[in-house]
Amino acid sequence: MQDSFFLVVGTGSCQGFLQTALGVMIFAKPRFATAMLGEDDLSGADPLTGLLPLVEAVVAEHQPSAIFLASTCTPEILKMNVAGCAAPLEERFGVRVYPCRLDGFDPSYTIGEDHVLQSMLARSPETDEKNLVILGCLSALEESEMRVECAAMGLPEPRFLPAESALDLPPVGPNTVLAPAHPYLYQSCAWAQRERGTATFRTLFPYGPDGSRAFYEAIAAAFGKSVSYQERERDTWAAIEREVADLRGRTIAFCSDGLIELPLARTLRAAGAVVDFVGTPQIYKKFHAAEVAALAGVEIVERGDRFQTFARLSELKPDLVVANLNIANALEGMGFTVKWSTELTFQPIHGFSGAGSLFGLFAATLRRHDALAKRRRDDSVPAKPIDLDFFRVGVKTRA
Amino acid sequence: MKLAIWSYQAPAHVGVSKAAASFSGIHCVLRAPKGDGYGTIMLAMFERLGVVPPLSISALNEATLAGAAADLPLLLADVDRRHHPEMIVVTRSATASVLQEPLDGEIGMMAPGMVKAEIFQASAHPVRDDETSAFALTTKELVAHFAQDVKRSDGPSVNIIGPSLLGFHDRSNVESLRRALDALGIEVNAVLPLGASPDDLRRIGRAWVNIGTARELAQPTLEFLEGRFGTPWVRELPYGEAGTTRFLRELCALCEIPAERIKAASKDANLLWYARTVDAHALSSKRVAVFGTPTTAAGIARTLREELDMRVEFVGTYVKEWGPWLRARVSDITDDVLVTDDYREVARAIDRTRPDIMFGSQMERHSASGLGVPCAVVSPPAHILNFPLGYAPFVGYDGANHIGDLVNTTQVLGLEHHLIETFGPRGQGRFAEAAPEPEAAHSAVATVEDGAPRWDPAAERLMQRVPFFVRKKARSNVEKYAKERGVAVIDEAVVVRAREHVGG
Repeated sequence: MQDSFFLVVGTGSCQGFLQTALGVMIFAKPRFATAMLGEDDLSGADPLTGLLPLVEAVVAEHQPSAIFLASTCTPEILKMNVAGCAAPLEERFGVRVYPCRLDGFDPSYTIGEDHVLQSMLARSPETDEKNLVILGCLSALEESEMRVECAAMGLPEPRFLPAESALDLPPVGPNTVLAPAHPYLYQSCAWAQRERGTATFRTLFPYGPDGSRAFYEAIAAAFGKSVSYQERERDTWAAIEREVADLRGRTIAFCSDGLIELPLARTLRAAGAVVDFVGTPQIYKKFHAAEVAALAGVEIVERGDRFQTFARLSELKPDLVVANLNIANALEGMGFTVKWSTELTFQPIHGFSGAGSLFGLFAATLRRHDALAKRRRDDSVPAKPIDLDFFRVGVKTRA
Repeated sequence: MKLAIWSYQAPAHVGVSKAAASFSGIHCVLRAPKGDGYGTIMLAMFERLGVVPPLSISALNEATLAGAAADLPLLLADVDRRHHPEMIVVTRSATASVLQEPLDGEIGMMAPGMVKAEIFQASAHPVRDDETSAFALTTKELVAHFAQDVKRSDGPSVNIIGPSLLGFHDRSNVESLRRALDALGIEVNAVLPLGASPDDLRRIGRAWVNIGTARELAQPTLEFLEGRFGTPWVRELPYGEAGTTRFLRELCALCEIPAERIKAASKDANLLWYARTVDAHALSSKRVAVFGTPTTAAGIARTLREELDMRVEFVGTYVKEWGPWLRARVSDITDDVLVTDDYREVARAIDRTRPDIMFGSQMERHSASGLGVPCAVVSPPAHILNFPLGYAPFVGYDGANHIGDLVNTTQVLGLEHHLIETFGPRGQGRFAEAAPEPEAAHSAVATVEDGAPRWDPAAERLMQRVPFFVRKKARSNVEKYAKERGVAVIDEAVVVRAREHVGG
């Protein structure tokens, strides 16, 4: 949403986090800022007074069409009514203000997207029409595929949330078919069900040929049509055989990270990989039911302990471990081959057209590992992981 | 409330974690929401640690918000069992401090023997302190906690205070100092916090002299050790070749060893000779500016001025409480000392002075690149690029060589480009992309003022013949000249007259 601005109400920690998360510092005029709480603000004063000049500055400099006013951990603890500032700010500056929660208490960073979408849904027009809304940030490529498939099935053109503009909101009502594209959008769906009576769409998420087939067939069914994607699924598997071949029979384990572990494990399994172990931060029983069912027999651990996971991995010795940046290098240091997981949440890997990229991300890691091992020919010069002794350079050198 | 976009410094808990986790045998536990735990990712990624970092997060969650910190003892026990530290340093983020959890009570009520490690609560204030002051305070606190009365070492010895994990080229800096100290026959008693164990801290009083590489990080520890053991510390900063020699002379005097030994230590130093070589003669006309931590700004500005004869436009730091120190330290180099933690103010200063080379942090690198000004990164805030696999020090003799190389590789080679522009076909060759045209170089920070004079085509053509590396400066000189005289349209005559007036 190029026309939006994120104003995060929080402390220096939030500011540090934003900066670190965007780590490489994209200096193209940032579309976010932190409203830093000073000691005075921590005494529980009304945040509106403090926010007024800040929002005025943001509006003057950036002219956004919408501001996401994000409340973080500290306002949450102080019971500071940041959300209550949205309406008066909107009225004062004539700019749409979406209040949302973006806090570090959530089990995964991806839930931030859920909160943002929920704040937008709350402003979406109500309708009794039977329409299709696809929920979740997708790339233009991924959206195109979904638009084309819906047209081919003779369905109404889908509306996407978010769209290119933060003001472009699809109508949502009791007859809306609300299709979440990501497995971490539970709260938005629950909100729509509770507030608008929108039935929650439950099937596999559109990752891999199997998931994409289930996703489109379920959309068709929701519009009372019976469409088979069996052939399409088969064609896609055939088209991506090069990537899939490198994964077939390989053992893969997932460490808990962005809540997308379940569908990825499911489609890797469908591709012929052996999925040993899946850690995930949270399972929403009904929302994830189809994915959990498809993973029957796989060891799934919710909110697991990091060291217990390490111990389990040492027993299982998978060919590939999928893990976040926190532990990826440490796992490499233990001798595992690691695919860093964060990439999986921002690469266009949805749908039939994204399936090649999806499997390619995993296959490339294994291919690199195998190629390096082969090119080195032997293990006489093993990689030495950097440990803490490496830094004791002043007194003695590394053994 | 204050609007913040990019910050030079991280919050206090990052300073505490960096200091505490850098010691060996000490583990840091951060009480914070899960989202505040990004320090572990920085440690794991930037330092490329192949092991689990000695920093753990005791995550606040919805449940702990309601009650007490009942889960903290469990994590402490877990850390104790997994890492076997001698001490666990507990700190909290600003958010956790707002919660006012009774951590003392929770820790105090733990069953005896549940945690073998000693538990230490860092006293840096999560809101009032910043990364620098929290780091400096935590280092001093841990030194004060462990230091014991010990006999001074038989031969001369030093402690090097300030280097840490996630520090700026710190491993290389320590290595460079150690090489020089080896040559002088001075023992390194301890490097801290980087790699020092509690035992090293107990014996810290053995050292004859203390060295603070980054003064803003070391000062409280230097003063504490001076008070406790009477250990003197070196005032000179080990930047540049001559600077390092001065630094070592002061050190030799304090260690009562003959200064002649410095010859052996400096045998590979090339910066002063580089300055004599004809290749470097053009540096005298080059203008530079330096912005960063107070120590790097002072050290590098002096090196560039005294050893390379470059003209220093301004020097600055974002560690505001060290502004007066920096001002005093560079008073003979420039009056223009910029003390601000607003990156936009620094960007405006770069725009105003248009140095030939900017020396700054990653922040300045971004600002400068938008202005078409080359920038060498010499100070934190760092980037993964500042965690080189190899040896790249900034201090000591090897650091001086490295600074010389940086000057060399960062400056735009004006003559080379000019010759290509003159003799080669336009828009071809390896520099075709290197020099942005003035139009393209206008960035977000470069403000176009209202009422700016217009350029007629002939004057524009004339400007194209000005060598690109002075074109921007020349252009703004002409515009300034025209504006001062109320000239609305700049033609060839105005350019010529302006040149007479302001040169260039």
